[in-house]
Amino acid sequence: MRNILRLALTLAVVGIVSGALLTAVHNWTAPIIAAREAEDYMKALREFFPALSDVKTEEAEGEKYDLIYDASGNLIGVVATAQQQGYGGLITFNLAVDSAGKIIGMRVISHAETPGIGDVVTTPDFQGQFIGKTFEDPIEIGTDVHTVSGATVSTSAMIGAVRRTLETIAYSYLSFEEEVIDITAVPDGTYRGTGRGAFDNITVEVTVEGGIITEIKVVAQSETPTYFAESYPLIPERIMAEQSLDIDTKTGATMSAEGIVAAVRDALQKALEGGDETGGETDE
Amino acid sequence: MNNIYLRDIFRGIVTDNPTFRLVLGMCPVLAITTFMINGLGMGVATAAVLICSNVVISSLRRFIPEQVRIPCFIVIIASFVTIIEMLLKAFQPNLYEALGVFIPLIVVNCIILGRAEAFASKQPVLRSLFDGIGIGLGFTIALLIISTLREVIGSGTILAETAAVTQLFGPNFEPMRLFALPPGAFILLGLLLGGMNFIFKRLNVK
Repeated sequence: MRNILRLALTLAVVGIVSGALLTAVHNWTAPIIAAREAEDYMKALREFFPALSDVKTEEAEGEKYDLIYDASGNLIGVVATAQQQGYGGLITFNLAVDSAGKIIGMRVISHAETPGIGDVVTTPDFQGQFIGKTFEDPIEIGTDVHTVSGATVSTSAMIGAVRRTLETIAYSYLSFEEEVIDITAVPDGTYRGTGRGAFDNITVEVTVEGGIITEIKVVAQSETPTYFAESYPLIPERIMAEQSLDIDTKTGATMSAEGIVAAVRDALQKALEGGDETGGETDE
Repeated sequence: MNNIYLRDIFRGIVTDNPTFRLVLGMCPVLAITTFMINGLGMGVATAAVLICSNVVISSLRRFIPEQVRIPCFIVIIASFVTIIEMLLKAFQPNLYEALGVFIPLIVVNCIILGRAEAFASKQPVLRSLFDGIGIGLGFTIALLIISTLREVIGSGTILAETAAVTQLFGPNFEPMRLFALPPGAFILLGLLLGGMNFIFKRLNVK
């Protein structure tokens, strides 16, 4: 009995002393760490926007948007802090966009990509291809930006993330209007389209009858199963209920949800351009 | 008198080198030795934890009952690792980024628990201190050797990720990427271990 007490007491003393020591060191270093990170970030902001005089931070769905104002109070740009699933883990990055929707800088804050391979996403060579691209550019693999062979997963994930972040900035903070698709003008048929989800492209088949979307089927995806189960079938239901792509994508799996919306948009756009009908009607 | 301490240090670096002779703590050896600076950082961080934990465990060796010694050792080692992690994050952020998840993993590095169990819990404080210095140096030197070779062969640079980064070869040099990856580390480690065994056999060191 006395022996057990002694054992417990020893462990308790060791634990309490360690805990006290850790608390002391934490209290000492935490402000230093926070100050250093804030300072690093402000330095980066100033590099992107030398005319910076005021910063207003907005947070949306776990991503941070810093609105940059000049001395006379004009919005001169937006810096997003966004995350993207890469090959080895989450890539956290900043994307700086000026008020005309042009990318003027980016930097990777943290990543877990393979050293010597996937970490090309941090190099100026790779990031440089985005600089100067505007919201009007396609930013599409093979068209105006390129993946790095050997690091296809990391680089294509980054390209998708830049496109997605740029769109969010342009629609939410700069006064760009999303092109409204007139569903009633879409001829009857089943159309296939793709959109970028959290990991890879999501492919959908959209059936339109008499100017109304009657069915949205996801035919290919590689999203996280548990998250994807949350957003699908919520999103198709919302699109069909409102007969519009301007829907609430907050589902707990926003990236997958936005991927589905983008895929439906892509399918309808192709339909309006008169191409890419899958001939799905014969399936029925 | 001094000899015994010097011998402890020598033993840690050469005859009981944790990487090449004891083959302990292979996880960080394979994982973080992509660049010289990472090898050095990991070596120094591990050595710092090892020296601190050796001294504390040795001075508490009469106080800690045998039945609960392992949990006590782990708590002590984990505390030092967490302190080192916070200090690195505050004062050496670049190194902290480079070492990443391997800093918390120092806790379960079997070199440290191994020295606590096999040496520090049985020997006086001063000898444990020198054992920690010796083994820590031995580990750092081993990491430096492996990471330098891997960096030169796998990336064609030296001192990458520091201010003094130098490209060793011309612009047309295509580095042997395999050596920047874990399989290359295995191959290199195998060759080094083979070489060491050969030399030690020749010298007849046991």
